[in-house]
Amino acid sequence: MNITSGEAPIQTDDPQFSHHGLGEEYVEDIALKSRPIISIRFRLFLAFLVIFAFSMIVALWSIYALSEIQVKIRFLEAAGNYLTEIQQARRFEKNFLLYGTNLEDSLEHLRTAESILQKNKDTIEKILGRNSIQGMSLQLNNYHKVLEKVGEAGDTEERNRYEPELREYGGQLVSDATNFVVKEREAVEDALSLSRRVPFYFLGILMVLIIVITSFLVKNILSTLNRFLEYTNRIGEGDFSPILPKRKYRDEFSQLGLAFNHMIRELDKRHKILIESHKLRAVGTLVAGVAHELNNPLNNTMLTAGLLEEDFERLPDEEKLDMVQDIIKETERSKVIVRNLLDFARASDYKIIAMDLENLLEGSIRLVHNRVKLAKIELQMKLTPDLPPVHGDEQALQQVFINLILNAVDALPPRGKITVTDSKSSQAGFIEIKVSDNGPGIPEHILPRIFDPFFTTKVKEKGTGLGLSVSQGFVRRLGGNITVESRVGGGTTFTVLLPTTEVPSSVSAAPSP
Amino acid sequence: MKRNLRIMVIDDENIVGKRLKPALEKEGDIVETFTDARNALERFSEQQFDIVVSDIRMDDIDGLEVLEQVLARSEKTKVIIITGYATVEVAQEALVKGAFDFIAKPFKPNDLRTIIEKAAKELGR
Ligand SMILES: Nc1ncnc2c1ncn2[C@@H]1O[C@H](COP(=O)(O)OP(=O)(O)O)[C@@H](O)[C@H]1O
Ligand SMILES: [Mg+2]
Repeated sequence: MNITSGEAPIQTDDPQFSHHGLGEEYVEDIALKSRPIISIRFRLFLAFLVIFAFSMIVALWSIYALSEIQVKIRFLEAAGNYLTEIQQARRFEKNFLLYGTNLEDSLEHLRTAESILQKNKDTIEKILGRNSIQGMSLQLNNYHKVLEKVGEAGDTEERNRYEPELREYGGQLVSDATNFVVKEREAVEDALSLSRRVPFYFLGILMVLIIVITSFLVKNILSTLNRFLEYTNRIGEGDFSPILPKRKYRDEFSQLGLAFNHMIRELDKRHKILIESHKLRAVGTLVAGVAHELNNPLNNTMLTAGLLEEDFERLPDEEKLDMVQDIIKETERSKVIVRNLLDFARASDYKIIAMDLENLLEGSIRLVHNRVKLAKIELQMKLTPDLPPVHGDEQALQQVFINLILNAVDALPPRGKITVTDSKSSQAGFIEIKVSDNGPGIPEHILPRIFDPFFTTKVKEKGTGLGLSVSQGFVRRLGGNITVESRVGGGTTFTVLLPTTEVPSSVSAAPSP
Repeated sequence: MKRNLRIMVIDDENIVGKRLKPALEKEGDIVETFTDARNALERFSEQQFDIVVSDIRMDDIDGLEVLEQVLARSEKTKVIIITGYATVEVAQEALVKGAFDFIAKPFKPNDLRTIIEKAAKELGR
């Protein structure tokens, strides 16, 4: 598998792994693609191969065991024949001793027994051992010799002399043969019972094997599936970082991973377009609003300046001064609107950095210090030491707190109080900054509207209605939120929820908007 | 030269009234200004006006409502609408509802005077 970037599509020997028309090579995909292939298909094949091999071993063993049993049964037959021959020989021997007949028959049977022994020598040796076979043939030999001697003897008396010897050798022979047959039968029985039990062992082992292999495969596949479940959750939450390989090989899941990466890229693209269009729409409403808002101070300026021009010669100085002051005031008002608009537009090039909350809040308070003092309002800040750093654009965050403090100043009568405090958020990784005042509070019916752009209850010259909407927009962009709690006569508290940077990755991972 | 038209100016921006009053009075007319449309309408029921100049966008009662109420009480009164941003639709709506004309912010005193002059001619003054 070779990766040549820029040269799509990638060819692999497995048709499953052919490129599906993504058209381009992406850096984040290279790692995924460069792993050696161990496909799920291959792993399944391997698993079944193991099971098959094991079954085959057992089958071969069965065939072998059966043929062994067959040999043993055949041999058992031979052993049976041997025993019969010996028994026959002895029966004729007795006849001979009693009646002097049948010696030839006896010898005949002995010879047959000998030939059986000879034929099965190797097998017997294997079963009973070298010593036994030697003993057996020795005894057979001895018995044979004694029997022949008995045949040569002349009278009954002489024959009877050999009787004890004959009985000894003969008895030994019979018992050996019987022993041999019994042993062999036991062996056959053992082999049979083993081949009866082996299928159960086989099934047991097969079961264990299947369980082990399946659980291994399933664990393997499930853990990857779970990983993909996490990915979908992560993507759902808007984290569009690509999927990187977590394993040392690639399989169909890697293919899925590549497809995911493709999807992530598309989502990201669409997401950006969406943000862009949202921004455009927001700007659209804003521009319409701003046009209207700007028209008022502009009109005031124009009317005043127009009149000043017309009556310049006739007007008393103080009247002229009043007009010029009006013009300056209205121009100021335009400036505020334009600045708010700029703040809003600037939202696209925020520099997100980590910063110290205490410094930030102190800076904000310094900037509004004069206004607060002029309004004869007491401003207090009570912060827990060692607050975690937050991330955001310093100026924009400062503007957020300035807006909140100035709103409180506007709402408060002289000797009113503003407090800035922090509190732990119930959400991990967030901190709350509260700006509270003991002012008149916000009536319930306007409370839902205060974050709307251009919503203001202040006289035209004082409020633009943009402060809270711009602040909310900025804080939300950081992943935070601004909430308000207020009761008529019971003061107002604005709570700014901000993500902290305790987890360093959250800074670097924050998508720069 | 003295026309003695009764003119009412309604705009919640107080500078508008403050500046238009002397500017329009120069023509010898009688000008009353209001920043609150409700007060203006109250006054209108005591006193007929020949011309009403009203901002279109105001918090409580907007310019179109003023237009309707004024025309309901006095058909021959000429109503001139001040629009914040000259959108065609709003202007058209105002004209359909019987406004004499409209003027877009920002304007100079003279621009309004021209329109008032036209209205005065129609009123036969
Ligand atoms: N601390 C507060 N106490 C009472 N009312 C408030 C407070 N803060 C904000 N408001 C209300 O919310 C409105 C919107 O505020 P904002 O968006 O900052 O615009 P602006 O300050 O220009 O009016 C204010 O006009 C005011 O009615
Ligand atoms: Mg404000």
